[in-house]
Amino acid sequence: MSTTSEVRPPAPQPRNPQLDPLERARLERSVVWPRTRTLATLPILIGILWWSSAGAEFDPLELGSGAVNIVDYLSRLWPPDFSEFGTIVRLLVETLQMAVIGTLLGSVLSLLMAFAASATIAPPWVYYPARWTMNVIRSVPELVFALMFVSAVGLGPFAGILAMTLGSIGSIGKVYAEAMESVDPGPVTAMRSVGASPRQVVQFAVLPQAAPLLVSYTLLLFEGNVRGATILGLVGAGGIGLELTTAMRMYDYGHLGAIVLSIIVVVTVIDQCSALIRRRLT
Amino acid sequence: MTVLGAPAHRELPATARQSVPEPAVVAVRDLSVAYGENAVLTGVDLDLFGGEMVALLGASGSGKSTLMKSLTGFAPITGGSAVVDGHELRGLRGRELRAVRAGVGQVFQQFNLIPRLSVLTNVLAGCLHRTGPVSALGHFPAKERRRALELLDRVGIAHKAQDPARSLSGGQQQRVAIARALMQQPRVLLADEPVASLDPRLADSVLGLLRDIAVGDGIPVLVSLHVVDLALVHSDRVVGLRDGRVILSGRPGELDTARLLELYSDEEDPDVDDL
Repeated sequence: MSTTSEVRPPAPQPRNPQLDPLERARLERSVVWPRTRTLATLPILIGILWWSSAGAEFDPLELGSGAVNIVDYLSRLWPPDFSEFGTIVRLLVETLQMAVIGTLLGSVLSLLMAFAASATIAPPWVYYPARWTMNVIRSVPELVFALMFVSAVGLGPFAGILAMTLGSIGSIGKVYAEAMESVDPGPVTAMRSVGASPRQVVQFAVLPQAAPLLVSYTLLLFEGNVRGATILGLVGAGGIGLELTTAMRMYDYGHLGAIVLSIIVVVTVIDQCSALIRRRLT
Repeated sequence: MTVLGAPAHRELPATARQSVPEPAVVAVRDLSVAYGENAVLTGVDLDLFGGEMVALLGASGSGKSTLMKSLTGFAPITGGSAVVDGHELRGLRGRELRAVRAGVGQVFQQFNLIPRLSVLTNVLAGCLHRTGPVSALGHFPAKERRRALELLDRVGIAHKAQDPARSLSGGQQQRVAIARALMQQPRVLLADEPVASLDPRLADSVLGLLRDIAVGDGIPVLVSLHVVDLALVHSDRVVGLRDGRVILSGRPGELDTARLLELYSDEEDPDVDDL
């Protein structure tokens, strides 16, 4: 909005700036041919793609021959063996419980971190350290945190919850902060104008505007934590992951198939529920 | 300075009837505001008295918004002084600045209500400066709630008190914003282009409401406008800004059209953004 901009343009504009006739002709055509500038970037893009695929040993031919093995592996998961369904349910419930607590702790701590990491709320000497901290957390895989906490508090879901909580500060804290930075500045100005304290400005102008986005991101975090809790089990941090690894190591394909199917069902149900809630919000 | 020459159909403000003039609520002396190298206001003098409605005219970029901002401590004052209700704004910071801001009601072109909160809560937000930490739980005392509802009665939209602010029309939103400003129990009311987003009929009614507030509450109302006719009809005094200087000031009846048009003649850069 131009009325609130505080910087005057550097110099007065010339009277009636003209559009370059060549540009005009190009824009008038129904099919707009990309500019040379755009075309020049194409070989660069292709170069980067080629370089990356070579480095990552990406080979479509090998993927083709490997597909047979993948199909073979998947076919062994069928039929699933639900003889230990009770165990699966118990562990899935534990996984969900981990995700609930991990999401709650994670979202509360992330919100606190996000206040510090919002350029519009925090002063620079708080903002930059907060952003750096989140970058560091984000660059460490959650699995590494899980291993760290397993060695600190022992095997079990508690270590998993701690890993999830710490991990979510890095990911969701950043998204929260950006949601709060992107609110309409008008109400913020209005609240500052009535003499509200910084805390009141956040509470009455920032949070109410950012709330739908924050809730939506929290639901995404929960979905992510349910899937994450499955993986954390691989290193003994509770949940269904441990059972999954054991079944894989024992070549117990029927049981493995049953576990995978159950996880798919739970994740799908949660995904649908949170999609419903998010639709309600917006 | 007050409105002795106002047309007969207008009720005279309380100050006009008194023989001893009251001190100005807002006293601006030789005020300069600059953003870095860029001087926006230069040597501005302005007095605002209780009960008068003053229209601020000027082309985009003439410094109208900046003058308003400097009265609430949102603009960097580089010279002179701006005194609001006895407080010098220059160099004021933190808690003291917030205390002065609390005494200055503000109305904005884009209303700046909080869209998802109810109309009532939006009005209540106007008293945040005196609620203290209790408001952390979104709680407001019954006394303030009653006052907010009375103000909504006054602006004529109490029946919408529970609706979210975003569900109201532009004219209604501006009335809520005015109620919020009144909730501050302000010593002065500033309205920066309050009717620029409204159609002419709503513009008339909102300006009429602001005039009633000036007269009824005996506070000065400074309103920036870009439609000269609205200023002439609704104000007691017109102040014209050009390139950051006051170039005219007078009662609507005394100003001749040529001088008003001078405000908008484009000798130099007419395209700069409104500051």
